[in-house]
Order: sequence, then structure tokens, then C-alpha cells
Amino acid sequence: MKTIALLSFKEILYKRIFLITLLMTIGFLTVYGVANYFISGNIEEEMVRRTPAEMMQVAILAPTFLNLGLYFSSFITALLAILATVGSISGEIENHQIDTLLARPLKRSHIVLGKFLGLGLLLIAYSVFIFAGILSLNQLFGGIIAVQVSLGNALLAGLYFALQPLIIIAVALWLSTRTSTINGGVILIILYVIAFIGGFIEQLGVVLQNTALSNIGIVSSLTFPTDSLFRKMTGTLVDTENNPLSLATSGPFGNFSEPSSLMITYAIIYGLLALLFASRKFAKRDL
Amino acid sequence: MTEYVIETNGLTKQYDGKAGCRDISLKVPRGIVYGFLGPNGAGKSTFVRTMLGLLQPTGGSALMLGHPIGDVETRKRVGYLPELFRYQDWLTGRQLLETHADLARVPRSQRKERIDRLIERVGLTGRENEKIRGYSKGMQQRIGIACALIGDPELIFLDEPTSALDPIGRLEVRNLISELRQQGKTIFLNSHLLAEVENLCDQVAIIHKSELIVQGDWRRLSDVKTQVEVRIDQMTPRLTERLGAIALHIEQLEYHRQDGTSRWLLQLAGEENIPDLVDFLSGQGIRLYELTPRQPHLEDVFMHWIERKEREYENDRLAVI
Repeated sequence: MKTIALLSFKEILYKRIFLITLLMTIGFLTVYGVANYFISGNIEEEMVRRTPAEMMQVAILAPTFLNLGLYFSSFITALLAILATVGSISGEIENHQIDTLLARPLKRSHIVLGKFLGLGLLLIAYSVFIFAGILSLNQLFGGIIAVQVSLGNALLAGLYFALQPLIIIAVALWLSTRTSTINGGVILIILYVIAFIGGFIEQLGVVLQNTALSNIGIVSSLTFPTDSLFRKMTGTLVDTENNPLSLATSGPFGNFSEPSSLMITYAIIYGLLALLFASRKFAKRDL
Repeated sequence: MTEYVIETNGLTKQYDGKAGCRDISLKVPRGIVYGFLGPNGAGKSTFVRTMLGLLQPTGGSALMLGHPIGDVETRKRVGYLPELFRYQDWLTGRQLLETHADLARVPRSQRKERIDRLIERVGLTGRENEKIRGYSKGMQQRIGIACALIGDPELIFLDEPTSALDPIGRLEVRNLISELRQQGKTIFLNSHLLAEVENLCDQVAIIHKSELIVQGDWRRLSDVKTQVEVRIDQMTPRLTERLGAIALHIEQLEYHRQDGTSRWLLQLAGEENIPDLVDFLSGQGIRLYELTPRQPHLEDVFMHWIERKEREYENDRLAVI
């Protein structure tokens, strides 16, 4: 299992997908940092008297800008997790690369777990990098729009942020044992989009006190809990729950109704089950 | 230690009741080169992949090195070169061997020496630190052979091991297989290149349309009739006719204008008819310059059994109509 984990880890590094993503991420973080710097400078210049109305504007803009950065970071991380994982088994089955590995004294479940471990560690490292990057840039260059965050909350939020790609990797591996690479990729991306839209609809449902909309969100969260993890993360970082301005301050990435801790437990069980199904399916299938 | 390294009993792997391999029962003794022969699509690779646990059998049972197929630990003693060899092309040849040495649980103390030796043995010295994606097809097959041998296996499955090699490479692989046999290893050789494996294989099994037709020492599988080549000084149509009492088939191969002799290929019912043939020719006053029993080639044996099976299929089909 250790060898497979190492092989999966190296594969992403050697194939340069990770290097390219890392370089693009640095570009993204640079743009975000520069934007933080100029926005805060601009606001501070124009906001001479700091009237309540002006302060309200800042209160709306600050978390929105942080959540915007975090949302796109989460999106890039999810995309990397999908692209790196979805063909990791199906692709090797399709080109018969996996044959010689399985002819070794190696349980098939160890291939699945090894890949999860290798890709998981890599994606955790990447998640920490991009999450810490956004947060640090916001704190360093955000000035007046820097969101006040405690270290404890930041660490916990980082944990939720890193959990998201792990869930995606588990589901991607399951799909990779069942379908072709393209099919698996399409299914995962659509699931991710459904989760995001469902999450947004749920927030609207809470604001409008519309149960049907809320239920749509709940169903989408149960179907694919990545958006719940994102909202739990932003909720932990910036406490906007039950704030009447929440939707306005955080835009579609904000959090009027923060997912409960039970949802986190559900997401973890969801990921573990996906991993179990992946192992079971792969153990039985013909190659 | 069991006498047979492979024992299958009605091993079947079919896809929706079709193709694959059906009801294969064979025994492969230890320390030989066993040729598993058949036309393209006969089911050879399906059989090997089922033995290695890549495919789940749909019927029958099999033992490999005394353990049921699917037993993970047994694979420590098995090497495999697939027909469709594809390796992690972003690794170098050496890195690939290191990975497989790890997977095959080769003791760390032995790894470097074994990898160096195998790289040299398959003729990749100097190229081992290049990425596999830069290797030619032949070089990839060579690294694949090294990979199959990295665990010092007792049983080695080679599925079309020379398909991508040039004539020199093919000769080297044949020599390697002979060496492995001398070391007491068993080689299960899948091939449809009969001339290639003829001198290598101690025993063969012939598979056709998913079914095992025959197995054993291929030189003894001669339901193929005895053939002799003779060079004689005269042959008249009358004599040819009378020779029909001994020879099942007569065919002129060549005529030597200088000395008036001709070379003929005669098919006899059995080896015991050779003295009768000599007696007959001398009795007819024919001068016999040469008589050479012709060993059947593996190709003759193979074609004999395939054609025989085809006739059976045809008869069965006609019987149904």
C-alpha cells in the first residue's frame, strides 16, 4: 500500500499537472493579494469620515472578498482533486498499466487505499497552501477589509477546507472503479455544481423562509456534501450565522444557515463509504 | 513441493457465455517451458489473466504453485509479462524496477545488485536512467521482461514476449528463456509464433476457439504421420502406384538433372513402415541414395490439430442441419 501511495504521489508530481496547478495558483494568489492591497488602499483614501453607511459598506465588502478568494481556492482544489483522481484507476485499467501491479502480491483494496493515501496527502498539502495563502494575503494586504480571524478558527476552518478534496478523492476513486475516466469526470463535475447551486438555493430558502428551497439544498448536500463543507469552513472563519446581513455581506459564498457538526460527521462517513464501495467494486471487477 | 506448478480443472472464463476460454484442464510440470499456443483470439491471454487473478473465473478451478488462483501471497513467486505491456512511462527504467522490486518484496539488500543484473541481461545498460516514455516498443518489452523477473519467480508467464522485438532481440529472449529453464524455473509461454517457440517448448497445449484441443510433449502429439524424404534414381508412374501400398501420400520435391535422381516426400502410417519402404525400393531395383526421416515441425502439429478440430466443428454443424 505504501508503494502505491508513493507511486500515486510521484505520478502527479512527475506528470507536471501539480507543478502547473501550483504555478497558476501562485498567479491567482498574486492577483488576489494585489487586489486586496488596492481595494483597501482605495477605501481608506475615500472613506474620510467613516460614517455608519461607509462602515456598513466595509462590513459587506470585507467578508465577501475573503469568501470570494476562498471559494475560488476551493473550486481550484476540487478541480485538481477531480482531474488527478478520476482516471487513476479507470485510466490504468483502460491502458492495462494496472495489470503488472496486480500480478504482484498486493490486495486490490490496497491499490485503492494506496491511491487515496498518496493523492490525499498531496491534496491536503495543496489545500493548506492555498487556504493559508488566501488568508495570509487578506490579513497582510487587506488593511481595512482584512477579516478578523482567530488562530483557532483559522485552523479549524483549514481542516474543513482540506476535508473537501478528501471526500472528492474518495468518490472519484469509487467512480474510477466503475466507469470510464471521461464519464467519471463528467459525473463528478456535475455533482460539484449541483452541490454549489443546491447550497446557494438552501441559503435563499432560509432567508425567504421557503421550506421547499431549503429542502432542495438539504437533498443536494446529502447527495454531495462538498458545499456544506465549504459553508461550514466559512462559517467557522467568519461568524455570520443568523446575521440578517449575511447573504448581502457574503454573497452567494456566504452563510446564513451554517451546516451543523452532524453534517461534517455525515461527510466523513460519506467519504469512508465511498472508499469502501471503491475497494469492494475493484476487488470484484474484471480487468 | 508439488509436481505441477499449474493444475487447472475445467477452468472457464467467458463473457456472457461467449469467447474467453472454456473448460481448460491442464497440468504444467515444474521446470519446463510450456507453450500455450493458439490462433489470435483463441483465449490464450484470457487464460493467463484468469490464472493471475486479473479476471474472475466463471467456472472450474485452478491451482498455481499449489495454491488456489487468487491467493495473493502466491504471486510473490510469479512473474508476468503481459501481451499489452504498458508501464508508468513517467518513471525511468530503473525506477520502474525499483517500484516492482518493492511490490515483489525483494529484500532491500539484494535490490541494487538484482536490478543492475537484470538491466544488463535485457540489454538496457546505459538507458536505464531514461524515462520509459522515450523507450522504443522493443525497449519497453525488454524492461517488461526485467520487471517480470525482478522477484526471482518460480513461475513466469510470458505473453507474446517477442512481439515487439527485432530478430536479435528475439534470439536474446529465446536464450534468456533457455537460461531460466536451466535455473529450474517454469515458463508459461503464450505465443502464436510457432517457429519461434518450437525449439524452446518441452510441452505445449493448443487452444482453439476457447477450447483446449490437446496438450503434452509436442513431438509426441503426432497424430501427425511419419514423413520421410528419399532420394532415388528413378520413379515411374507404375512404381508410384505400387508405392501407394506403403505410403499414404507421395510428393516429388525436386529433380536433379545432373545425376538423374529425384527427391520425394513420402508419408507413412508409422515409423515401423520405414524398413518396409526400404525393402520395397530395393526389391524394385531402385537405388536409394538418401533416406531422411522428417521431424514434424510444431507448425505441422499445430495445423494438424487445428484442422482436425475445424472438421469436427463442421461435422457438428452439418449434423445439426
